[in-house]
Amino acid sequence: MRWTTIPVLAAALTGGAAVAYAAGFTLPAPAKIAFLYFADKTDGGWTQAYDEARPKIEKEVGMQIPFVENVPEVAGQITPAAERFIQRGYNVIIGTAFGYSDTFKELSQKYPKVAFLNGSGTTNGPNLESFYGRTYESQYLCGMVAGAMSKSGKLGFVAAHPIGPVNWTINAYELGAQKMNPKATVTVIFTGAWNDPVKERAAAQAMADQGIDVIGQHVDTPTPQIVAQERGIYGTGHHRDLREFAPKATLCSSAWTWEKFLGPELKKIAAGNWEPNPYGAFPGIKDGGTDIACCNSVVPKDVVDKMMAERDAIIAGKQIFAGPIKDTAGTVRVAEGKSLDDAGFWKMDWFIPGVITQK
Amino acid sequence: MIDFLVNWLANTPVTAAPYALAALGLIIAERSGVLNLTAEGLMLVGALAGAGTCLALGGYPALALVAAMVAASAVSLLFAVLVVVLRINQVIAGLSVVFFCQGFTGLVGTLAKWQNKQLTGLPPLKIWPLSEIPGIGRILFQQDPIVYLTILIFFAVNFLLFRTMLGLRIRSVGENPGAADAAGVSVTLHRIFAIVAGSSLIGLAGGYISVVSVKLWVTGMTGGRGWIAVALVVFARWAPWPALAGALLFGCIEALIPQIAAAGIRVPQYLMLMTPYLATIAVMIWVGTKDSGITQEPGALGQPHVREERR
Repeated sequence: MRWTTIPVLAAALTGGAAVAYAAGFTLPAPAKIAFLYFADKTDGGWTQAYDEARPKIEKEVGMQIPFVENVPEVAGQITPAAERFIQRGYNVIIGTAFGYSDTFKELSQKYPKVAFLNGSGTTNGPNLESFYGRTYESQYLCGMVAGAMSKSGKLGFVAAHPIGPVNWTINAYELGAQKMNPKATVTVIFTGAWNDPVKERAAAQAMADQGIDVIGQHVDTPTPQIVAQERGIYGTGHHRDLREFAPKATLCSSAWTWEKFLGPELKKIAAGNWEPNPYGAFPGIKDGGTDIACCNSVVPKDVVDKMMAERDAIIAGKQIFAGPIKDTAGTVRVAEGKSLDDAGFWKMDWFIPGVITQK
Repeated sequence: MIDFLVNWLANTPVTAAPYALAALGLIIAERSGVLNLTAEGLMLVGALAGAGTCLALGGYPALALVAAMVAASAVSLLFAVLVVVLRINQVIAGLSVVFFCQGFTGLVGTLAKWQNKQLTGLPPLKIWPLSEIPGIGRILFQQDPIVYLTILIFFAVNFLLFRTMLGLRIRSVGENPGAADAAGVSVTLHRIFAIVAGSSLIGLAGGYISVVSVKLWVTGMTGGRGWIAVALVVFARWAPWPALAGALLFGCIEALIPQIAAAGIRVPQYLMLMTPYLATIAVMIWVGTKDSGITQEPGALGQPHVREERR
C-alpha cells in the first residue's frame, strides 16, 4: 500500500519529474561505457566471463570499453573507482558484484545523469539496473548430462553458500538428473567460500571416495573439475567452459553469455528512453544469462540431442520449476499447474527430494 | 564405517601439514622475541613462488618447493629490517607485510597469467611393504614426501632450539635480550636469522598448498590458514610438539567436514564450518586453566631491543 502511493504522491508533488521517470532515462551525451571488475580478469570464472564478453560487446556497441580490476566490495574503494571514470566523461558504469549494490544505489542518486548496471546486484532505480542470469536453466541441462553419464546414480555438487541463487542451481541440477535417471541423487557440500581451492579439493575428493562419479559445481575455481579428472570421474562446470582445465572430465558447463544481454541493453541505453527493470533484469538462455557450453566427446549423441531438445523447449518458454514440486520435508513449494515466480527463486531455502545436504 | 574412518584419516595429514609447518616457522621467530603475524602473507608468497616455478619450468615440484622457501625468506627480510633494525611496532609491521603480500601476489599471479593453471604436483610416496597393510597403510604410509619431511623437520627444529648453542642463543634473545646482549650475543643477528629461517618453513607451508595439495594457484588461496597457524602457536605455548598435535587436531576436523557431508550425514552445516574455531577456543581454555608448563611465552615477545634503553 505504502509503496504504491509513493509514486502517486511524488507525481502530484513534482509533476514533471515523475513524467520524466515514466518516459525513461536518456543520457545527456553520447554513451561512454566502463566496467568495474570485482576480481582480476583472469580469475578463471565470474570476472573472466565478463572480460571475455567485453570484446564482443565492444564490437556490438562500436566503442572501446575500459575496465578496472580488483575493486573489492567496499564503498571506500568502489566510489573513487567509479568517480574517476565519471570525471573523465564516462556515463555508463557497469559493476560486477553483489557487494556493490548499496554503493551503486548511492552513486546513481548522486549522479542522476549517469546510467549504472550491476551484475548480481540487488538495487535498482531510475538510472540503475541490477542483472543476473536464470542459471537454473543451464544447470538443469548440465544435470541432465550428469544424470545420463553417472553409472552409480550418485552425483555430487560443490557449492559455495546456501543462498537462493546457489540453491536454485542445485535443485535444477537434481531435476535435470532425474529427467535422465529417476533414481539419481545429488550430494551437496557447501564450502562456505567462493574461492577456497583447498576446501573445494577436499570436498571433491570426499565425494569421489563415496562413489560419486559426476561432480557439478557452483564455486569460482575449476578445482572440482581437476579433482574429477585426477580420479577418473566426470564433472560439469559453471561460469565458463571448464574443459579448458579438465578436458577429459568436464562433460559440459553452464557458462555466462553476458554479451547477449549487455550488448542490446547498452544499445537501449545509448538510444535513450531506457527503462530499467524496477526489479532488475533476469535474463535466461534466450536473452543472455547463462547457456550450456557443450559437450565433451564422451557424451553420447542421444544424450546431447535430448538435452538440446530441452534447451529449445526452455527457449520456447518451458518452466523448469513447474508444479507440483515438494521439498525434502514434503511441503508443497510449487502447486500443481503453477510455476515458481521470481521472488520464489530469490528466497529459495528448500531442496527437492533426491538432494542430500547438510541442514 | 571402516571406509569412512580410513578416508577421513588418510586425508588428515595433507590438511594438517601446512598448519604444522607454518606454526613451527612462527615458533622459531617468536622464540627470538619477535611477534610474527606475517604467516598469512608469507604463505601466499610461498604458494605463488611454488606454483610459478612449476609452471615456468614445466614440473620440478621439489625445486618449486625450494623456490617457495627462498621467496618467503626473501620477503621476510623486509619484515626483519622493519622490526629488528628499525624497531617498528611488530603488530603493525606484521599486518602491513600481510596486506602487502596479499596485493603483491595477486598482482604478480595475474600479470604472469599463473592463475588457475594446473600443476603437475608431487605423487604420494608408497612405503612398501608397509603401504599394503589394510587401512593403516593408506593412512600412514601412502602420503606425499612432504608429510614425512614435516616430521623430520620437527625433530630437526626441536633439536636446534633446545640442544644446540644457536638454539640457546635464539631463546636467550627472546627471553631477556638485555642479558643476552651483555653476554655478547648479537640480538639483531639472531632475531633476523630466526625470522628468515622460520619464514622459509612458512613459505614451504604455502608452497605445499599450491604445489602438492591443490596443484593450482588462485589469488588469496590460503584462505586465512596463516591466521590459524598464528593461533596454533599460542595454544602450543611456543613449543614445537604441541604445535604438531594442534595442527593434526585442526587437520582432523577440516578433513572430517567434507567426509561427513559426502557421506550424506545430516548435521547443521554452519556448526561444521565453525568447529575448527570452536576447537581453538576450547583448547585455549584448556591451556589457560591447566598449570603453566615449562615452556611459556618468551619473556621479551613483541619488545624491540634497544641497547642503551633501561627497562
